[in-house]
Formats: sequence, structure tokens, C-alpha cells
Amino acid sequence: MAERYSSFTPGGTGWLLQRITAAFLVVVLAFHFFLLHFVNHAAEITFAGTQARMETVGYFVTMVLFLITATFHGVNGVYNALVNQGLEGTPKKVVLAVLTIAGLALVAQGIYVAVAMAGWI
Amino acid sequence: MSTQQESVESEPEEPESQEVPEDQEMSGLASPQQERLQRKQAALEERERAESDHDMDDDRVHLKVFRYDPEVEGKQEPRFDDFHVPFERGMTVLDALIYARDEFDSSLTFRHSCRQAICGSDAFFINGRQRLGCKTQIADLDQPVRVEPLPHQEAVKDLVVEMEHFYDQMHAVEPYFQDEETPDASELDEQRQSRENREKVKMSTRCIWCGACMSSCNIAAGDNEYLGPAAINKAYRFAMDDREDEEIKEHRLRILEQEHGVWRCQTQFSCTEVCPKDIPLTEHIQELKREAVKKNLKFW
Amino acid sequence: MSQSYNRGLVEDFGRWREFSAGMWAWIFHKFTGWMLIGYLFTHIAVLSSALTGPDAYTGTIQGLESLFLIRVLEVGLLAVAVFHILNGLRLLMVDLGIGLESQDRSFYASLVITGAITVASVPTFLQGVGI
Repeated sequence: MAERYSSFTPGGTGWLLQRITAAFLVVVLAFHFFLLHFVNHAAEITFAGTQARMETVGYFVTMVLFLITATFHGVNGVYNALVNQGLEGTPKKVVLAVLTIAGLALVAQGIYVAVAMAGWI
Repeated sequence: MSTQQESVESEPEEPESQEVPEDQEMSGLASPQQERLQRKQAALEERERAESDHDMDDDRVHLKVFRYDPEVEGKQEPRFDDFHVPFERGMTVLDALIYARDEFDSSLTFRHSCRQAICGSDAFFINGRQRLGCKTQIADLDQPVRVEPLPHQEAVKDLVVEMEHFYDQMHAVEPYFQDEETPDASELDEQRQSRENREKVKMSTRCIWCGACMSSCNIAAGDNEYLGPAAINKAYRFAMDDREDEEIKEHRLRILEQEHGVWRCQTQFSCTEVCPKDIPLTEHIQELKREAVKKNLKFW
Repeated sequence: MSQSYNRGLVEDFGRWREFSAGMWAWIFHKFTGWMLIGYLFTHIAVLSSALTGPDAYTGTIQGLESLFLIRVLEVGLLAVAVFHILNGLRLLMVDLGIGLESQDRSFYASLVITGAITVASVPTFLQGVGI
């Protein structure tokens, strides 16, 4: 029976990463909401204000990490939800590929936008 | 089940060795044992009153039972049949079903054997929840009592469901004690387990393979490859047993950490809630997840 | 093998009245999760107006924020995010094996706190906008 199992654990790493990103996101998402709705009201946001925040390297890095972890957490969550519903075989591979590409594209676009906001390009 | 309960209730109320003062006033009702006895007596009377009230306004139990039989023309379309069974004190759902079968319709089909929550053959979907027929008192249920076959397993006939898949998953975790090496001939006596370790696996050993947990699990319903709570609990029972070698434990964890092993559990707690033997299934699954993660971190 | 009868979807969702706390928590967590990942994609798309130029960015955001509907949706987003955070903390506890016996109460607490925070933040979110 042993040959059926590889030493690579498809579930375990994803499960652990999902939890680690969760712990990070809990803090950053709360911070993000607080900053942009209670400290600065969303209606009063201007490009200049955004730029002032993004120019701070610490804030920029936090936001980029926020984007990466949130994308992973979300896309992995969607994938898991579909596997839980019994997705298997070729459709499963296709879904994984589509979600991976969408996730990577989102991260790339997000970082590009963040750099533009900071005024570095 | 009912007789068992009664025998528990009528346990020696006055231990022979203990002297119970004749006059309760004199003793000032101080002894905790007396207080316990009084409470017990009061509870008994209360229960009798409740039962007799119940008898007065309705001495028949209204059962609605799922009927289906692909081999009988009139029963190919599933339907519910009504049975009105005379209520008796201590009657369980299984008792009522047996009465309905023996007295009203001998074609009513369901599995049952020991009638005391050990054989695990009579798990049904009773009033919207997976329960053991022999462990569920009619008096505790709202009427009409709806009895259906276990959800997420295909109904073969009436209340009988296909259990093959459940057994396959149970066998997939190699539910037997194994050891790489045969013990030395000089130590071929008992393989002892420490009391602490016995406590650790105690709850997990209580599984009776009734399938209630698997049926309640929303993930097992969607993902056919998921091992399911019962099989994972069975694996827990052996993985946590100190008498097996570390290598065997690793082998067991490798089975469990497949994609469709422990990771599919979404901690809905459905299995833990329906388990008729009160096994903390979710807790065991979570512990195995952590064990699997720890094992992999160790190898990094 | 003899024929057998599959009872279909009614087994899952036709029985929602019988769901218990853990099941509801899972359904809400999944639902809010779908909303949040959907929003993340939209969010980046809207913020991409920054690539066009400062005025386009400021104009887009302030234009959206002047709409009453957007404000209401934002309150909804807050509710969704707060629930996902609180229930997420509950799930992290469950994963660590802490307090499994009170998992139902912690779910109810998540709901109540989510409701309270949402209601309390309505004035802030609807500031300076008319219907």
C-alpha cells in the first residue's frame, strides 16, 4: 500500500500555510479597515494621501505582504472548498491552474499599482 | 437499553456497610448520601409523573418511517408510512420499529442486533439527526417521530443503507495493531500499556462502526475519497498507542496526511455531536493534523 | 448489486433547520470567504485607476464614495470581514486544540460581536452622504 503515498504531502503544507497566513491577516486586515475607514475616512481619500502612506517603506512592505498572503489565503480557500465538494481529476487540475494564474496576476497587478502609488515609477 | 437503564436506577440504594439512621430528623439530613438518595427519589417521582401524563394524552407513538424497495413495484417511489405503536415506558425507537414490523408490516426492513448500543447496526436518521435506534428514548422525541435511513449513504431498502464505502474507509487506515519486529521469545508475555496511555486512547476505542459520524459529515458527503471521522478516529486509536513503534506511527501518519486524509476535516463538529458513544472525534482529528505537521517540520 | 436510492441534495440543504453551531459557522465562514476574495479582485481593479494618474484615482474613489449604495455595501463588507476575522480566530483556537468544548459558544460570540461592531460603525460609514 505504501507506494500509493508519496513523501510529498499535498494537504499538510497548504493547511499549515493557510493557518499561518490567517494569523497574519487577522491583524493586518483589522489594521487596514481601521486605518482607511476610521482614522482616514474612505470618502476623503486622495492620491496625495495614498502616496504619503505608500512612500513609507514599512507601510509599503506591509501592504505588499498583505496582498500576497490574502491572495494565497483566498485562492487556496476557494480551491479547498471545491476539493471538499468532490472536485477531482482533470477539472481539478484545470481549476488549480486557473486559480494559480489568477492569483499570480492579481499579485503582479497589485504590486505594480502599489509601486505607482508610491510614485516610484 | 431500557432494562439496562432501569437496573442502573435501582442500584443498591442503601449500601449494606453504611448505617442509615432511621429517623431522618435526628441525623439532620447531613449525610451527602442521604441527600443524593432524596434527590434520586424526587427525580424518579418526577419522571413517573411525566410518564403518566404522557400516557394519558397519548398512549400511542406516531412513527413516520421511510419506505423504499426497488424490487417491489409499489415501493419504488420512496414514501413515508405511518405507524401508531402503543407506547411503553422506556421504549426506544428500535423497540417501536420492532413492534411495527412484528405487528403491522412484516416487510419493514432495518438492521438491528444487540439492542444495547454495542453492535452499531441500527444508526438511523431520527427527527433530523443521526442516532442509534436502540439508544434513543421515544419519550425524549417530538412526535411524529420521523425515521429515515442514514443520509449520504444510498438506501438499499427501507432503513437499510449501503455500508460498503464506510467499511472500505475504515480498512484503509489499517485498523489493527502492528509491529515491525517480533518480540524476543523471552518476553513473549503481555504487551503492557501504561495507564496514562490507556486513558489517552480510551475514548477512541469506543467506536462501534455505526457510521453515524460519516453520515453527518458534510465533507464526506461531497468528497468520496475523504477518509471520514470514524476511520481517522480508528487511526488515532493506533497511532497514539505507545505499544506500536515510531516507524509504524509514521506510516500511519503518512496514510492520514494524504490530501483526502485529515486535511479535509473542516471542524464542523457534526460528527462529534452525533456520535452515540461520545467520542471527541473532531478533537482527535485536530490532534492528528498537528502530529502530521510536527512530523513534517521535524524532517525539514 | 441491487439498485439503491440516492436522495440527492435535499440531504444537505433541505435540512438547514437541523444544522448546529459548527455547521453554521462553516457555512458563514465559507460564504464570507468567497465575498472577501471576490472583493480583493475588485479592490485591486478599482485601485488600478492610480496607474492612469493622480486625478483619475482621486476622482474614481471619491466618485464611488459619494454613492449611497457603495456606502451600504461597505458596511456589509465590514460585517463580512469582522465575522471572518472573529470566526477565523475561533478556528485557529480549534486547530490548536484549545477550548473545543465551547466551540458553539465562541461561534455565537463571533456573531454577536460582529453585529455590535457593524451597528456601531454605521454612522462612521454613512458620514456625509445622502440617499
